Amino acid sequence: MAFVKLNDLEIEVEDGTNVVEAARQHGIEVPHYCYHPGLTRPANCRMCLVEPHVFFPPAGAIVPDRQLATGCTTVLRTAPPDRKLDGKYDFIVRTDSERVKKARADILEFLLVHHPLDCPVCDQAGECDLQDYSHRHGYDKSRYLEIKNVPPKKDLGPDVLLYATRCVVCTRCIRFADEVSGTGELGLVHRGSHDEIDIPRSHEGVPLQVLDNKLAGNVVDICPVGALISKDFLFKSRPWFLEKANSVCSGCSVGCNITVEYKADGVYRLKPRFHEDINQHWMCDDGRLGYHYVNSDDRLQLPLKRVDDELTPTHWADALAVITENVSEIEAEDIVVIGSAQGTNEDNYILQQLAHDMLKTTQLGLFGQLPGEEHKFPQFTIEADKNPNAAGARTILGSGNGNVVLEGEALWEKVSDAKVVYLVSGGPERPLEDAEKAALERVDFLIVQDVLPSEVTQLADVVLPGTTFAEKDGTFTNSTGWVQRIRKTIDPPGEARVDWEIMQQLAKQLGGEMNYHFAGEIALAIAENVPGYADATHQKIGDMGIKLSL
Amino acid sequence: MIEERRILYEHLDVPDINTFDVFRQYDGYTRFEKAITEYQPDDIAKMVMDSGLKGRGGAGFSTGLKWSFVPRDIKPCYLCCNADESEPGTFSNRYVLEKNPHLLIEGILICCYAMGIETTYVYIRGEFTLGKQMLDAAIKEAYEQGYLGKDIRGTGLNIDIYSHPGAGAYICGEETGLIESLEGKRGQPRNKPPFPAVEGVFGKPTVVQNVETLCNLPFIVGNGVEWYTQMGPTYADTRSDPPTPDPNTGTKLYCISGDVNEPGVYELDLGLTCSELIEVAGGLRGEEVKAVIPGGSSAPILTHYELDTRLDFTSLTLAKSMLGSGGIIVMNETRNIVDCLLNIMKFYAHESCGQCTPCRWGTPWVRDIVQRIADGNGRKSTMTRPKFGVAENGRWGDTGETEDIYEDLDLLESVANNIANVDTMTWNTICVFGIAVSWPAVSYMRKFRPEFEAAIREGKLVTLPVAEATVPPEENYAYQQRFVPKEFADL
Repeated sequence: MAFVKLNDLEIEVEDGTNVVEAARQHGIEVPHYCYHPGLTRPANCRMCLVEPHVFFPPAGAIVPDRQLATGCTTVLRTAPPDRKLDGKYDFIVRTDSERVKKARADILEFLLVHHPLDCPVCDQAGECDLQDYSHRHGYDKSRYLEIKNVPPKKDLGPDVLLYATRCVVCTRCIRFADEVSGTGELGLVHRGSHDEIDIPRSHEGVPLQVLDNKLAGNVVDICPVGALISKDFLFKSRPWFLEKANSVCSGCSVGCNITVEYKADGVYRLKPRFHEDINQHWMCDDGRLGYHYVNSDDRLQLPLKRVDDELTPTHWADALAVITENVSEIEAEDIVVIGSAQGTNEDNYILQQLAHDMLKTTQLGLFGQLPGEEHKFPQFTIEADKNPNAAGARTILGSGNGNVVLEGEALWEKVSDAKVVYLVSGGPERPLEDAEKAALERVDFLIVQDVLPSEVTQLADVVLPGTTFAEKDGTFTNSTGWVQRIRKTIDPPGEARVDWEIMQQLAKQLGGEMNYHFAGEIALAIAENVPGYADATHQKIGDMGIKLSL
Repeated sequence: MIEERRILYEHLDVPDINTFDVFRQYDGYTRFEKAITEYQPDDIAKMVMDSGLKGRGGAGFSTGLKWSFVPRDIKPCYLCCNADESEPGTFSNRYVLEKNPHLLIEGILICCYAMGIETTYVYIRGEFTLGKQMLDAAIKEAYEQGYLGKDIRGTGLNIDIYSHPGAGAYICGEETGLIESLEGKRGQPRNKPPFPAVEGVFGKPTVVQNVETLCNLPFIVGNGVEWYTQMGPTYADTRSDPPTPDPNTGTKLYCISGDVNEPGVYELDLGLTCSELIEVAGGLRGEEVKAVIPGGSSAPILTHYELDTRLDFTSLTLAKSMLGSGGIIVMNETRNIVDCLLNIMKFYAHESCGQCTPCRWGTPWVRDIVQRIADGNGRKSTMTRPKFGVAENGRWGDTGETEDIYEDLDLLESVANNIANVDTMTWNTICVFGIAVSWPAVSYMRKFRPEFEAAIREGKLVTLPVAEATVPPEENYAYQQRFVPKEFADL
């Protein structure tokens, strides 16, 4: 640990921390643009200038160093005993001296000479570092009388637009493409004040390569100004109107930490949230843009039952009555209950209890999205398993006494012999493979719980409208054993209900005595009954998750 | 009459000196042979340190000291020869490359031997096509003659030289910009530290030396340190007690251009005054000297009051200017300083690499302000303010008089100082390009303020007579700390 005097504070920081981070840990802002903790540090924005102090032998005193230093590249380390300042400090640095303040204001003045005053129409306004720092550290007027540079607006790729006039050339996006995604589509063209971020183009301006990798959306997040803009979010909402909830991406089994930004009428965007061991600062575009099904107009809003071979809307009491009627006569061996890898641990726990205690079946299955492709990047991996909770669902469903959790062919073989199947799906629309379709068609009475009409619901006798990850509380277990929380953001559409509530209601209908009030209560039951999940209560999981000790 | 002292340029005019055979007749490679037979590598490094040789590229940093920073235990270590001579007003390396490339190769060999280096890159300015052709031919000959390659002259030394053309950026003459460019990246300077001596080309320790510096090495080895230190003054650095010697030894290739009768490269001892140098170059063309740029276009300008300034590293530093690359540009009474500044600022605005904020957007701004003044659109306030200068008590302060406010001149000074402050010598930029911009901008404006004011007042460029155009030293605080260094021997 290095003992550092930061302004008037005496702080201890770990060796290797830079001044920007050390200050941030203690609530002091050192403004910066080019520095990003997940990328290399070119120190080119010069915004994070700080004033180191050194011992000046002729004066016999500690004085401010002649040159200001960039806080991002000034690394704090334990000094050898004979190099300690004042006998005890490893480093002395000020971030609030007059010199530093003037330097910041001067740099901001330079940054703003070519920056357009288009904040009223800029998507970034409200979450823009240039706006915030200008407000906090800048001068109140410009001395620039000359004509501003107006480089053209560019389309960089499927989801990213470049408003080049707003760019401050911090090169974060270029470094991201070089270091994290390793695809290197971005670079600087021209020189000096004509510097522009661009993709490779022929002399005529025809793109030779576009910013089309699965991590491309991150450049929008890391852009400190409104230069790189997501087409998906463009002009949708002002950021200050959005509410935010910490959640987990449901796109694959990595379990990237995200922030869901929403308003009452739907989810507006997903942004990655830092987690050191899982996704660092990033998330993939499949996850980022994969939320649209939540807002879909086609969402199942009422329970459906089959009348004269047609799925007809009905009400909950009727739907549950139909199920009770059809299920109560059936032998336990003829019932298969299939949980969802898209559902939370809590959903699957209630389903397992429903199957085990009420339907008396030990034949369970696991259903989820079809596997996709695995994508490996230098500092990021997108996994092939497109379900957020396959690991958790498998453990929870199998936790009951004698339970067998079938997957793949074995499951469909069993399904084709069954008379009643209760299948929980969820997540984006999933096409059925031939074998699956054939097996499900042979089922006498098929209950499907899903969020969107799909091939599965087409085969169902009763359809129960469930909820997506954005509409419920719960936990997901990722492929590396991290249990993390998702949070309810928006209300489910229409009459749709949280999945475990439906299952609990059904259990009650069948004479059970389940009485959970909220997801956290179920998590406590899981902690008690499922091996390995002893610590996985919602309180302990918090925002950063816990790793299962298996 | 001052004579040229030709050392580096001694055989420059010999026909076919660029060929190995002719070079050999004029002691070629004998100094290298002397080095490898008579001296250990450390002896050479010590000789260079004792000779007081200062880097000729611009900064004037002691070569021996630079070599001492290179860690000896990390291999490979590289030598980069900086032949990216692009400072306006400088053209001395070009002659060495085009006419006597073997001298450079010999210098490189000595440096490589001293530092245990096996690979050298010569980064040649892209426009020097003839220079590169000549050097490549010389390198080929040296390989054929066994002075380059594996096991040189049976000593077990392996030294390779690769020449690499630049792509035409001024900033690639900055040592870390050069290294980036050499590695195949965009030519943008690196943050320092780490310095190239610790982490340079491909992350390895690297010695970066100018062509002229390397060409001095054969003569230091061949003729000895004592012979070398006789040339040029050695000043006393009185900041330490007792004073330490501050050598400005050797000769310098002064590139004299502008309003002189015989412009060209002159090899002279360091320490001659400005007026002596103008005499050497055939005298002034015109009536009187208006200004002299002493070290390439980035150096602060000298006025006719400062013609007695000695042109060496220490004296010019104390005169708040610099010797830089030795590109001396003389201007006579017909030159308009605003126009000159505009010319220089156009160059710098074009050459800014655009990596860091102050330089990227400050440099074109400075150019635009000067352009506006030159176009006659400079702004002058209708108000006045107290005038600062030498007050009644003899100190700098409020003189009790008032002066007009020239808004654009204040803006020019402020913007330039925000890129790099010339008074405190601190810069907010990554490399010293920032100071290379604000030095001329601020010094021209302060020292020739009447001409700038006239341009704003009259709405057009006005060339004033020299006496009127120049601010006298006692009225200009840019001169305030100026003093003449004492030679070490005089103490």
